[in-house]
Amino acid sequence: MSASPTPFQVRIDDRKIAVDLPHFVFATGIAAWSGWFCWNSWRSSPDVENLILIVPVSAGAVLLYLFVAASCFKIIDIDQTEGSGASPREPLVRADVIKVAVSMALLAAFVVAGPTIGFDVASFTYMLAMMAFLGERRILVLLLVPLVFSVTVIYCFSSLLGTPLPLFFGTFGL
Amino acid sequence: MIDFAALLTAVHLLGSSWQPWLVVVPGILIGLLVHAVPGLTTSMALAICLPLIPYMDFLTALIFMTAMYAGAVYGVAIPAILLNIPGSAAAVGTTFDGFPMARAGKHNEALGLALAASCFGQAVAYLLLLGTAGPIGAFAIKLGPPEMLVLSLWGITLIGTLRGRHLSRGLLAGAFGLLLGTVGLSARGAPRGTFGFDLLLDGIPVVPAIVGLFAAAELFNLVGRDYIIEDLSQRSVRARLILNGVREAVRHPGVLVRGALLGSGIGIVPGGHAIANLLSYSETRRAAKDPEKFGTGDPRGILAAESANSSSEGGSMATLLALGIPTGGATAVMLVAFSMHNITGGPSFMRDHADMVYAVILSSLAQVGVLAVVGFAFTFVAGFVVKVRLRMLVPTVLSLAVIGSFALAHNIAGPITLAVFAVIGWFLKRFDYPVSAAVIGLLLGRRTEGDLLRTYQMSGGHLDFLLTRPIALTMLFLLTASILWPYLRSSRTRALTDLKGTVD
Repeated sequence: MSASPTPFQVRIDDRKIAVDLPHFVFATGIAAWSGWFCWNSWRSSPDVENLILIVPVSAGAVLLYLFVAASCFKIIDIDQTEGSGASPREPLVRADVIKVAVSMALLAAFVVAGPTIGFDVASFTYMLAMMAFLGERRILVLLLVPLVFSVTVIYCFSSLLGTPLPLFFGTFGL
Repeated sequence: MIDFAALLTAVHLLGSSWQPWLVVVPGILIGLLVHAVPGLTTSMALAICLPLIPYMDFLTALIFMTAMYAGAVYGVAIPAILLNIPGSAAAVGTTFDGFPMARAGKHNEALGLALAASCFGQAVAYLLLLGTAGPIGAFAIKLGPPEMLVLSLWGITLIGTLRGRHLSRGLLAGAFGLLLGTVGLSARGAPRGTFGFDLLLDGIPVVPAIVGLFAAAELFNLVGRDYIIEDLSQRSVRARLILNGVREAVRHPGVLVRGALLGSGIGIVPGGHAIANLLSYSETRRAAKDPEKFGTGDPRGILAAESANSSSEGGSMATLLALGIPTGGATAVMLVAFSMHNITGGPSFMRDHADMVYAVILSSLAQVGVLAVVGFAFTFVAGFVVKVRLRMLVPTVLSLAVIGSFALAHNIAGPITLAVFAVIGWFLKRFDYPVSAAVIGLLLGRRTEGDLLRTYQMSGGHLDFLLTRPIALTMLFLLTASILWPYLRSSRTRALTDLKGTVD
């Protein structure tokens, strides 16, 4: 099953315009950020020293965006419906969308949890969850690999490399 | 140019005791191992080993540090090829063709190519250094902001060559990267694009951002597959195939020499190691008759990037020894090691300790041979990564990357940067933007802005100022010629074909 089986289409008179909406939104996001960054830098200090690179590059980015945005729209035949559009990409299968989204969410949770509750517990939990999510079903592997990894990495960073990491065990008297 | 008396003393120094040689293999191994962990850097490894320096005599300490440096210079290629993780900016160019080769089951050959190019690059750089350490140092001091600006612009032109299928998307990704590179405090102390976060005042942490854009984004795409290489028959690690890579390297002497000379030259300027691999890649691609093959797993891409990044080590050592100026984090830590022995790098060091300088250069040349052997064995072991199931490899690599990025930034900015850029990288790939263009922009953004600003201040806003800088002018001419050359060549080929058609 496709994540977006029918492309976004707009009908104008006897023509249809197919829009690659996800790409259009992404490119618009880049252009919007570039514009905002230029404005933010200008507000921060309107000196040449501050804007010597930012203004020309931002202007270039917005101009390039117009070209990219234009490529997101495609005029198609009035009779065309399914599978037609401005996107040359393979549609994502729903299972792939879920896998990528969950992987991103787990990484985000690890990034927040590591410095907050400690990298020892966070890395063990993250690895266990990620391995289980990716299809590992052997309980011993699910427990041993994250455990050995966490202990080894934390020991190497903290003791051998002298890089202090936030840890749960030790920090809270455990 | 060579002080033969000092050279003979250096040979005697190295030959009279086996002690300095004992640190070579451990040094190379540490350098190799450090870059197996995403987020760890050469300067970090050197800094960690600093407490050992007072316990070694000065020559042994220098050999130990150059051995670590040599190991690290090749070590960055291994995760760049096998996992698409450029552990430092110096390995960004290696990923362009290294990872596609690995995905195609040619990981053994790709690693062999990288090892050969690294050894060759280092050997050329130190041979050059042997004869020209003094003049190179004197030349380096003549390079000011205008010359650095031209060098940065040269790097930026690579964005145009890495445009992928859509020029506008490649350029937009490059511009996006350039702007991201300037986030943080400006030269006037004005905060830009920080969203009010103090952690961003120093700018976006570059290494976590690169690891996020390249590696994490790629790993998300691998989720759901079993192995990096799908075909079981290609998932082997064979010494013979690694040696095939070495043999393949020998078939491209021009690429190797160009990369080694470019790297040696660019390595003498601050931050040169980060840009050398990109320039070499760009120039090799431009000079090639079939540039479209680059980026799809072309051996010449790996050779160009690796020969340049390894030879830039020799260039940076020239600046360190001759001028006492560090060109990057690693050489800055080496300078600290100098001070631990109450020695100051620079012209007086070259004059008073010429024998020591030659001893370091000679030992570094010998280290190339040791690196070839140790690196080969390490490569063989590292190659087994392709046999690890992705359901174990992906969480392990991502965990290491997150912890490594925290260790690098010393705060949460590192991991957050990694995660945010992983998502951006995934979307860039999804919508067919060349991620490498964004990375080059990110790498060169702040540097270009600084060089542009200093050139502007020096010139008082007058462009004709560049005409008074012969080196900058020559570099601009070479840059223009290098950009125009592929077009001139293709139009000449077209004209010749047309002429032939008319005659026939």
